Amino acid sequence: MDPYIAGVLLGLVLLASFYLTGRGLGASGATRSIVVSGVSAIAPNHAENSEYFKKYLHDESPMKSWLVLEIAGVIIGGFLSGAWAGRLKLKVEHSPKITSRRRIMLASAGGLLFGFGSQLGRGCTSGAALTGMATLSLAGFVTMLAIFGTAFALAYFFRKNWI
Amino acid sequence: MNTRIIISIIMISLGSIAAMLPKTKNSSIQLKADELLREMKRQTYVISADELADLLINQDPSILLIDVRDSVDYAQYHLPGAINIPLKELLDPEWAPYVDQISQKNIFYSNGTTLSSEAWILTKQIGFRNNYILGGGLNKWFSTIIKPEFPATSAPSETWALYETRKAASQYFTGSKAADKEENAVILPPIPRKKKTRVQGGCS
Amino acid sequence: MGPIVPLFNVSNEINLLFAFIIGLGFGFVLEQAGFSSSRKLAGMFYGYDITVLKVFFTAAITGMLGLIFLNFMGLIDLDIIYINEYYITSSIIGGIIMGAGFIIGGFCPGTSFTAAAIGKIDAMWFVAGSIAGIFLFGEIYPLLESIYMSNYEGAVKISNILGIRDGYFALLLIIVASIMFWIGELAEKKFKREDISKEI
Repeated sequence: MDPYIAGVLLGLVLLASFYLTGRGLGASGATRSIVVSGVSAIAPNHAENSEYFKKYLHDESPMKSWLVLEIAGVIIGGFLSGAWAGRLKLKVEHSPKITSRRRIMLASAGGLLFGFGSQLGRGCTSGAALTGMATLSLAGFVTMLAIFGTAFALAYFFRKNWI
Repeated sequence: MNTRIIISIIMISLGSIAAMLPKTKNSSIQLKADELLREMKRQTYVISADELADLLINQDPSILLIDVRDSVDYAQYHLPGAINIPLKELLDPEWAPYVDQISQKNIFYSNGTTLSSEAWILTKQIGFRNNYILGGGLNKWFSTIIKPEFPATSAPSETWALYETRKAASQYFTGSKAADKEENAVILPPIPRKKKTRVQGGCS
Repeated sequence: MGPIVPLFNVSNEINLLFAFIIGLGFGFVLEQAGFSSSRKLAGMFYGYDITVLKVFFTAAITGMLGLIFLNFMGLIDLDIIYINEYYITSSIIGGIIMGAGFIIGGFCPGTSFTAAAIGKIDAMWFVAGSIAGIFLFGEIYPLLESIYMSNYEGAVKISNILGIRDGYFALLLIIVASIMFWIGELAEKKFKREDISKEI
């Protein structure tokens, strides 16, 4: 699909989200709900005593939240799109210059950083940057510039992994 | 590249239009002027003296009488169980629990209908619900209930029945036991109206 | 008049249903745009594929214009919709850490779920990593709390800070984005990598 068209469609999904529910998109919050549910299931006392996690413990399961349902939709929507376009394939996607194993290590490390950073930044590219920019929030713009600026700045040092 | 140019042109055009739009402040809760006028014409928010007497005698707990005159007039005379919120203090935060709630009917009253109507328009405009006024005010109250008009001898039986009811009500409000009713008046803790609050969102 | 859920006291179940449907659209479009490939996402930073730039800014602008026009037509109340709260320090530091995560991992949380959905194993490891990262944050939160909560400015909008109308800022952003698209497409030609573009 042409990227510009995809962008317009994504913008319309975002708009629909605002019109229907008053909030924009998000992703890192869903992962956090998964973490909180997991911690609470394995070690409930620890979850209740944790300064950070206890904020997200409610009467109902943390999994019954807006973002978790949204991410469930994302997974299914992505799957349907992949199935329709014939892109379903179980594989490790990596540059021919590195090994699969290295790619997995990099992906995990990247995930670790992104997960950590998303909590500190109160959002990720979907929740803070994209949604934030659409509402003209200063937080959205600052986070967006920080993410992309840093990625550009560090790109040179990781080039061997990509090109 | 073609798509890029088309998209850029569309975006710049729409953006130019957007830049010229004035800053609209919508209040999803504010009534529009014509809706307000329609309500006023229908007069559904007016409670008559007879209806009020009925509610008070039955000790209906769902009403709250609000005297919107100043405190001097209130001290001189007020309807049983009424609280005093002078019109100019109506929007003060200390009165918010009484005015801005959805559990009780607020009945504004004053000597006539000028002040109480103003109170009604003010609160309706902001979006508060459950507000009514006493039709005719205290003046009508006196001439209808406290001192009901003695019907002419040729009047139909309904008019006599009404007179009897009003006379009985007058007894209720002015008789020897009238003062006790003041203490027994029930004022329920109000349930606040849900205010316009921002949605929680983002990844939080 | 929108937004519908808060104004019409819609039940939580329906709100969650909306979330699911919106997610379907979100995931579908992301995958259609090709964001289920880390090499495509990373292409933004090496010049051979600027899809990220095109999609991201077009989406933000569409959303922005949409909100402005709907507000003008009285169809949405901008006082109720969510606006991100600005904590200066944590926004910037969090953004920097996320930027590092982006260039190393090649995904962001939303795209990682989309990619995992079509079978990308590296995306699944990214998700696992982000779970670990969030857990780590939670565990050392007491040390970070002061940074996390510092410099709170409220839910400020750029147009208010600059003192201009929303639409005016939107136009400025559109002009900047149009220039970026033009430069980006020139860069794509210059840093072309057929071998990669063929595979992703």
